[in-house]
Formats: sequence, C-alpha cells, structure tokens
Amino acid sequence: MLSKKVIFTGRSGLHAQPASKLVQLVKGFPDSKITLSAADKCVNAASMLSVLSLGLAQGMEVEVRVDGGDEEAILLSVVDFFASLTEA
Amino acid sequence: MKASGPAFLFIRRTSSGAAPLSFMEALEQVRRDLARYAEKDTLFAAHLEIADDPLLRETVEKYISDGLTEQKAIEAACAQICQTFTEIDDEYLRARADDVRDVFNRISRAVAGEVAADVDVPRGSILVAEELLPSDTVSLNFDHLAGIICHRGSTTSHVCILARSKGIPIAVGLPINAIRPGDIVEVEDPLVGTLPIAEKVRKAGRKLFANAGSVQEIRDAMKAGADGIGLFRTEFLFLGRPNIPSEKEQEAIYRNAIEACNGKPLTIRLLDAGGDKTLPWYSPEPEDNPFLGVRGIRLLLANPEILRVQIRAILRAAAGTKIIGKTRIMIPMVTRIDEVRTVRDLVGAEFALLGDVNGSIPVEIGAMIETPAAVLNAVELAAVCDFFSAGTNDLTQFVMAADRGNAAVSYLYDALSPAMKKALEMTVGAARFAGIPVGICGELASDPSATELLLKLGFDSLSISFS
Repeated sequence: MLSKKVIFTGRSGLHAQPASKLVQLVKGFPDSKITLSAADKCVNAASMLSVLSLGLAQGMEVEVRVDGGDEEAILLSVVDFFASLTEA
Repeated sequence: MKASGPAFLFIRRTSSGAAPLSFMEALEQVRRDLARYAEKDTLFAAHLEIADDPLLRETVEKYISDGLTEQKAIEAACAQICQTFTEIDDEYLRARADDVRDVFNRISRAVAGEVAADVDVPRGSILVAEELLPSDTVSLNFDHLAGIICHRGSTTSHVCILARSKGIPIAVGLPINAIRPGDIVEVEDPLVGTLPIAEKVRKAGRKLFANAGSVQEIRDAMKAGADGIGLFRTEFLFLGRPNIPSEKEQEAIYRNAIEACNGKPLTIRLLDAGGDKTLPWYSPEPEDNPFLGVRGIRLLLANPEILRVQIRAILRAAAGTKIIGKTRIMIPMVTRIDEVRTVRDLVGAEFALLGDVNGSIPVEIGAMIETPAAVLNAVELAAVCDFFSAGTNDLTQFVMAADRGNAAVSYLYDALSPAMKKALEMTVGAARFAGIPVGICGELASDPSATELLLKLGFDSLSISFS
C-alpha cells in the first residue's frame, strides 16, 4: 500500500468534469483499489458519486491511497491529476 | 421577465404496461435507455455515469441483504446518497442530488413495471410542480408552457437551465400548497432573456454589468452573476419625499451598495433629475422643452449643494468601507468638458475636506455619453474621464431628433440606425484612443439581438437590466 497527501487546488471544487476525468483515470487500473480520504471520509475513487460526496473545496487536504498493481506509477498519475487541477 | 396564466398542477404519470423486473434487470434496462439518450443530450451521459456507479449498486444491495424489498431498498439507497449531497454547502453538488433521485426513479419504475407517460399541458399554462426531474422534462411539451413554478429544486438544476434557454420564466423554492388548478398565477424570472446575452458577452471576454435602481436590485444582480453594476440610479433616494436626503442617509445607502458589490465595480450615477423626472422639493422655472432643459448635470451644477452632498456621501462610503472595490461616479447628460472638470474639482476638494481619510481619491469619474455634443467631442472628453458609458435611450432620441414617445416618428427612433452606429463607433474610438474603458447602459444593451453588434463595436461592458 502506498499513499500520499495532496492539497486540492481546483478553484471551483471537484465538479462533474474533473470528477469524471478522475474516475475514468482510476477505472484504467482495475487491479488496484484506489481510495481518497478527506475530512474524515474515505471513499472509492472509482465511484463518481463517492468522489463528489467528499465535497472537495480549494485548500482541502486529500489522501490518495493505492492498494495493488503498480502502486508507485498509479499513485504518481493520480497525484499528477490533482496537480493539473490548479487551472480549473 | 414575467408571465402569468392558469396553473396546471404537474403529476408524474406512469402507465403500468411493462413486466416488473428485478433490481439488476431494471438497472441494466435503465443503463441501456440512458446510453441511448446520452447520444443526444450530455445531461443523460451524466445520468448514465450515476447508473454505472458502483456505489449505487452496492448501496441498494446492502439494503436488500438487510431484508428490505427491492422497492424499499431503492428508496432507502436513494435517500442515503442524496443526503450526503444535500449536506455539502455547494449549490452545484446539491443540484446533483436531483440527478441521483432521477436515476433512482427510473430504476424504481422499471422494477414496478411502469413506463413514463406524456403529460398533456394546455397551451399558456403555468406548470406547478413539487419538483421537476430531467426525466419529467422529456414527458413535457415546453412550447405549451408560459412559466414554471417548482417547490423543490435549485437554480442550477436541469429544468431551470432548459426552461431559461427556451425563454420560459421559472421560479424554484416557492410554496405551492395553496395553488389550485386553474388559479391565475404569476412567475417572475429576472434571468430569462439575460442568458443569451450573458453567454455572448462572456465568450467575447467582456464584462456583464447590471443596471440597478435600489440596493436590493444590486444584490439580486450579484446573485445572478453580474460582473458589477454599470448603472446605479440614485433617483430613488430623492424622489417621492418632501426633502433632500441627508449626507448620512445617502452615505449609508452607498455603503450598502458598495458592500453588495463585494469588490466588483459599482457605477453610481449622480442624481439624474429634470426632464420627465421632477423633484417635489425643487420647482424650476417652467420650461417649454424640459428634455432640452435643466436636467442631469445641469440641474446639479445649478444646485451645487445637492451635488456636493451627494459627492461627499459617495466619497465617505467609498473611503469608509473595508471592501476594496472600484467605485465610479458617472455624470449624466454631459455636453461640455467643463462639466466633467467641475465635478472632478469638486470631488478633489471634498475629498481634501474629509481630512481624516488617507490615500488617494477612492473613486473614478466618467461621463454618460447621451448627447450628440458628447459624441462629437468624445476625444477631448475622454481626456478628462476615467470611463465612458453610452446611454442609448437619450442619445438615440437626440441623434435622430425623434421623441421616443411620439408614435408618428417612432420609425425614426432606432438605436441601431446608421447614424447611431456611427455615434457609437465614435464613442468607442475616442475611449480606445484615450485608453479608458467604455460601456453601454441603455436599453439597447438588454436587447439580445443587438449583443453581437455591440461586442463587435468594441464595448468593454454591457450593462443590462436583470429585472
């Protein structure tokens, strides 16, 4: 298991489009269990509804956790995804 | 925009014709249906995503294994998932609860073996509903609706966006219990009509300002997403009262206005009385032609105490609030450069007299371009102004020499006649030359058919009426 904490920087929260992109990304790794934790909630990153229900807002801390598969590469791509949201 | 008509109470109709399905069969059927709709409308692609979501299936299955019937399990799962969305303080996410509920309704209907049936609404009705879900909108003929009232729902929900894009006023969050079928009801929706303008203005990278005649209208416009106030009429402070409002009273209103703008530009027009707007406490010499008489800045310069008090109140409000924004003073009916200079000098002098305030003058000063003289002399005028705003109502009447109230010459009153286009071009050109922003705040700005032309002419902001 690998994990990393990132700060959510998307200006208008994690809304449909970026959330959908994240879920698509995560679904590309069916052999891994990828979870997001924020504000005492821990959810399956492959579920759009769960991801949205985190209510991520700018400045919140999110922990990305990867279980199984090429953990290091997967973690990096999910963390990269969050970094790319700065402009959103 | 306002609409009224007989109320038609919406009842979701289904007909039982299909065979009842198990939850998994129903889910599969709903997925297939949504995949088909998704090709035409991206909203249903989002619904398909919800139907595909592992959380949906897992939650329903958990309730089924707890011993609930499939119908009850679907209801419970829907309530649980929606609950997490409505708890989040985010308008967008709260609206997503509608989508979740809609997908669950589809599944629930499929489990019961029901199919949605069209709802026949008589032409001209105001549709009154507890809630309208995207799947309901498919069963309605929007061309028959004069307006919509919903008890539940959010202003960013699918039905709101759909209704407004079709020019149908919609109100959400209103109590509907007392409405009986056939009651004549009225819907007022300030956002209808502004949407197409807003889209074009934003796409062009310009600013969408609002015209306001009270602090409440400023608040409403800000809530509706205006980039600022392009015309704050101050007449309401002066009309319908026996005396001149005091400096303190005015300051309080201007401060509320600045705070309502919350950092976005606020353009305060100095008292624009005279002409057809008479003041109870001011009786000028009778005029044969009041529209060409003592009005706008002329009236203020003739009564410098009114002007000074208004300027002081604006300066105090702008200097005294913690909100860092842009407060602009707009001078109405400018014909000569010295009118702007005089106001500028007065602002400087009054600011110096405030004494206890540090820093630079907290306001910008600009002219309303609404006389042919201002247009013809725009280059020189721009040199003493911080901004321009074209007031097309009066400008059209003066350029075309046609009284807008006279039906016999109304064919001449055309804000986009060749002469008026030239006048607007000259105004924008002079502002560009001086490097100052130029907006437009006449009724022309609120006309969606003129938006593209105004953007092409180069206006930096369109100030429209949101109500």
